[in-house]
Amino acid sequence: MFISDIRKEFYEVVANQRVALLVSSDIDALCACKILQALFHCDQVQYTLVPVTGWQDLGTAFLEHKEQFRYFVLINCGANVDLLEMLQPDDDSIFFICDTHRPVDVVNVYNDTQIKLLIKQDDDLGVPSYDDIFRDEEDEGDDSGNESDGGSEPSGKRRRFDEGAVERRIERQRERREWEARRREILFDYEQYEYHGTSAAMMFFELAWVLTKDTKDMLWWAIIGLTDQWVHDKITHMKYVTDIATMQRHVSRHNHRNEDEENSLSIDCMRISFEYDLRLTLYQHWTLYESICNSCYTSCSFKLWTLNGQKKLQEFLADMGLPLKQVRQKFNSMDMTIKENLRDVIEESSNKYGMKDIRIQTFGVHFGFKNRFLASDMVHATAALLESTEKDESDSDNFIKALDSLSRSNLDRLHSGIELAKKKLIAIQQTVASCICTNLILSQGPFLYCYLMEGTPDVKLFSKPMALTLLCKYLLKAFVHSTRNKRCKLLPLIMAAPKDVEKGTVIVVGIPPESETSDKKNFFGRAFEKASESTSSRTLHDNFDTSIIELKTEDRSKFLDALITLLS
Amino acid sequence: MFCEKAIELIRELQRMSDGQLPAFNEDGLRQVLQEMEALYEQNQSDVNEAKSEGRAELIPSIKLRHCCLLRNQRCVTAYLYDRLLRIRALRWEYGSVLPPNIRFHMCAEELQWFGQYKKSLASFMRSLGGEEGLDITQDMKPPKSLYIEVRCLKDHGEFEIDDGTVILLKKNSQHFLPRWKCEQLIRQGVLEHVVS
Repeated sequence: MFISDIRKEFYEVVANQRVALLVSSDIDALCACKILQALFHCDQVQYTLVPVTGWQDLGTAFLEHKEQFRYFVLINCGANVDLLEMLQPDDDSIFFICDTHRPVDVVNVYNDTQIKLLIKQDDDLGVPSYDDIFRDEEDEGDDSGNESDGGSEPSGKRRRFDEGAVERRIERQRERREWEARRREILFDYEQYEYHGTSAAMMFFELAWVLTKDTKDMLWWAIIGLTDQWVHDKITHMKYVTDIATMQRHVSRHNHRNEDEENSLSIDCMRISFEYDLRLTLYQHWTLYESICNSCYTSCSFKLWTLNGQKKLQEFLADMGLPLKQVRQKFNSMDMTIKENLRDVIEESSNKYGMKDIRIQTFGVHFGFKNRFLASDMVHATAALLESTEKDESDSDNFIKALDSLSRSNLDRLHSGIELAKKKLIAIQQTVASCICTNLILSQGPFLYCYLMEGTPDVKLFSKPMALTLLCKYLLKAFVHSTRNKRCKLLPLIMAAPKDVEKGTVIVVGIPPESETSDKKNFFGRAFEKASESTSSRTLHDNFDTSIIELKTEDRSKFLDALITLLS
Repeated sequence: MFCEKAIELIRELQRMSDGQLPAFNEDGLRQVLQEMEALYEQNQSDVNEAKSEGRAELIPSIKLRHCCLLRNQRCVTAYLYDRLLRIRALRWEYGSVLPPNIRFHMCAEELQWFGQYKKSLASFMRSLGGEEGLDITQDMKPPKSLYIEVRCLKDHGEFEIDDGTVILLKKNSQHFLPRWKCEQLIRQGVLEHVVS
């Protein structure tokens, strides 16, 4: 069931209890977890935090902890399947689920006792009404009762009753068949598309605000959670702008307290500010030139994998009057005169080159003399740490490192994350360039398909779901910009990359078609399930996002064929 | 040269200046004691000779040997005393059960001394704070909060806390637990205090 008052129905229930936190491995979940941990520290609620990477992990973690805990909080996992059937908990276990995955499974919505959803009821849900899906079984009982009563009547009347009863029964069965057909249709429509709702970090920040225990750190984490949804293309642009406006109100509320002229804050205090900043990834921690070359938006608009594109870039820089020597220097060492109006100068010039939205609304944080970060910088750094492919580092080690990097006291971890993120971005751009230049993207009819061979440089980076999804989106954008085929521009993209060489599996990701007004709804989850069933391929649907699966390399071709027939 | 072996003992302790206990250097100690015995024998014979034959030129060498004996004695007692101080600190750091690799470094007498120290500390603690006694080896620095956040560094299995609830300590899980229960495990290296 949906919770209406998050303070009374969630926080006050768990405040005196011990809680198990099961947290999924994405940045929004990490931020939400930090906010909740800070609240629990305030009120000394004992908890245990367990990172989970997929459904199997969730199952094992639950089994290990179900004896000791009654209350479970699931962050960014668990809403889109029938949780009670999957975990088979005892009757007194209670689950609080704060998940951005939609659609929320109908059993989770209508269960009143064990599942509490920390989701706003109007958060773009469209849940079918109860009567359309669940039906009481009492009608059957009445029917048979009538028949047995009819049997004790004398024979003449009995025949009349029997006929009436039989007719009624046929009528009822027909009605039931119709109802079931309607139910299947409603459920199919409801569960067909997968998308994302409001950030979990923002939900917990709102909880903190309602308790008036919100701090600037929590606000910053909520902003990072929201920016993660935007960077990884999980929400529409409209939703992002609306949520930014909500966050902006909180930011001004926090900043308003410190506007006093007499006691201005020390430079070491944390300041969050609204920025209408450039869409160049990590540009303040890199050189401007590298940032332009490796940001998806600019790279695709200029088509930097072609010679023409490189020339246009040089023209662009010359147009702005930025000398190459300056632009190839680290951003912090650029001349002050250039840095001052950089944003306006770039915006003007980029309008000439067809890049109308080079600037995006976002937030930046500033503490100490040296430390300035934009929200998207933090998202990229933490994502790179979370999915780092160093040897001997398990997923939970990476989770802990990424969680640490979000605290302000672990700046060296954050900087190492930024370096990893730079490497990842360069790898993505090079892979995109090589895929486009060697025409690795094939049109299979209803979708585009690309397979990364095993020997591709940096292919290990792309065995992780978030990195592969990012590569997928950049590749689709680049393809749309470079192809002349009008029909191909509207197709979705499926990408496969080797995941585990020893086990012989590949990771397959599907993303919706690229468009300005895309509503980011992804139908590949159901499609993959059906294709896998029909060809009995060996697949593992372990990720919380149903559009990311693991597949045995040998079954790749028959799986694809099944998908083609399914989707055409 | 005389007294060099005694200095070796002292240097050994100085190398481990952070309070670690090196192995009990029984050989070194025995050599120093043998040297002292040899010096003493020589001195005895020289003193007898000086007294009986009136040879005053032996007196400086007697004095020298005497000084060496005293120096050896000082060095040996310093060595033994410093080791005892370190062992005493171990009780405060590790608790009443020492890890086996440290016990290996102590000689039998030191172990006995440690046992007696434990006993007198325990009876002192019992005499404080009314009926139950007060464990003064906990909370060496004033704690900032009742509960601390800890991260598990290795799989430790199940762990029971005061109100009977059991927690599963699995690698890389984080917990928010009462401070006093965690201190032992933090010292053992199973948990790590997370400062955010």
